[in-house]
Amino acid sequence: MKLLVFVLNKEEFLEEVLEAYVEAGVAGATIVDSEGMGRFLAYEVPIFAGFKEFMKGNKPYNKTILSVIRNEGVIEKLKKLVDEVVGGLDNPGTGIMFTVPVDWSTGLVREEEEV
Amino acid sequence: MASLREYLDPACVAVDVRAADKEEAIRALVHIADSAAGVKDPELLVRDILERERLAPTGLGESCAVPHAHSDGIADTRLVFARLAAPVDFGAPDDKDAHLVVLMAGPRDSAGLHLKLLSKLARMLHDADFRAAALAAPDAGILAQLIFDRDS
Repeated sequence: MKLLVFVLNKEEFLEEVLEAYVEAGVAGATIVDSEGMGRFLAYEVPIFAGFKEFMKGNKPYNKTILSVIRNEGVIEKLKKLVDEVVGGLDNPGTGIMFTVPVDWSTGLVREEEEV
Repeated sequence: MASLREYLDPACVAVDVRAADKEEAIRALVHIADSAAGVKDPELLVRDILERERLAPTGLGESCAVPHAHSDGIADTRLVFARLAAPVDFGAPDDKDAHLVVLMAGPRDSAGLHLKLLSKLARMLHDADFRAAALAAPDAGILAQLIFDRDS
């Protein structure tokens, strides 16, 4: 069982990304409004105000999608679909996806009810 | 990780620096950098630092300030750490005038390094024990040692 974390910098793709989640077999996910560290420092902390020009082209806000994945085969499928949607996660500024092991959980959608 | 020793020449640590206001303090610190190792264009550097101050003041609060700039007036990244003879206003959020002023300046292509150094300096200056020791240091040599010890 894994926790899949996806920080999606291109928020305009959120709908299509979630469609990819469902298509890949992810039964549920939590979407969190999030913010990049660079934007926060440059705009909210006065001593870093001089670094605003280095933020040009960066997306200030992003979405973080959290999901617990039982069947790890889903992750490969999802990665491929998400790559198609956002144009490749290897491109800087697109998003960051990673997993961490989960050794216990409760409250997940029951396996037999998964899509 | 960026080490302060690499960017702060002990000759650029000074105490009892006299300045009546922020601009004079910045000029005095640029002069210290220029005297220690030469600055390509001190006047341009002062202008760029003042320009950066207009964007948002660099007073951190607790009597500290970190004026800085990316500038074509200096060839490599350098720091100057000064304790002023009398504090001056750097627009700090707590309205306390700055007594400890650290100037950081370097070329425009060093944004990553500058972020690391500024973060390190801000963290150092937020430490109440360090500030008290820096304010009490009897001379520049002891102040320099305090800074390098805190950074090691």
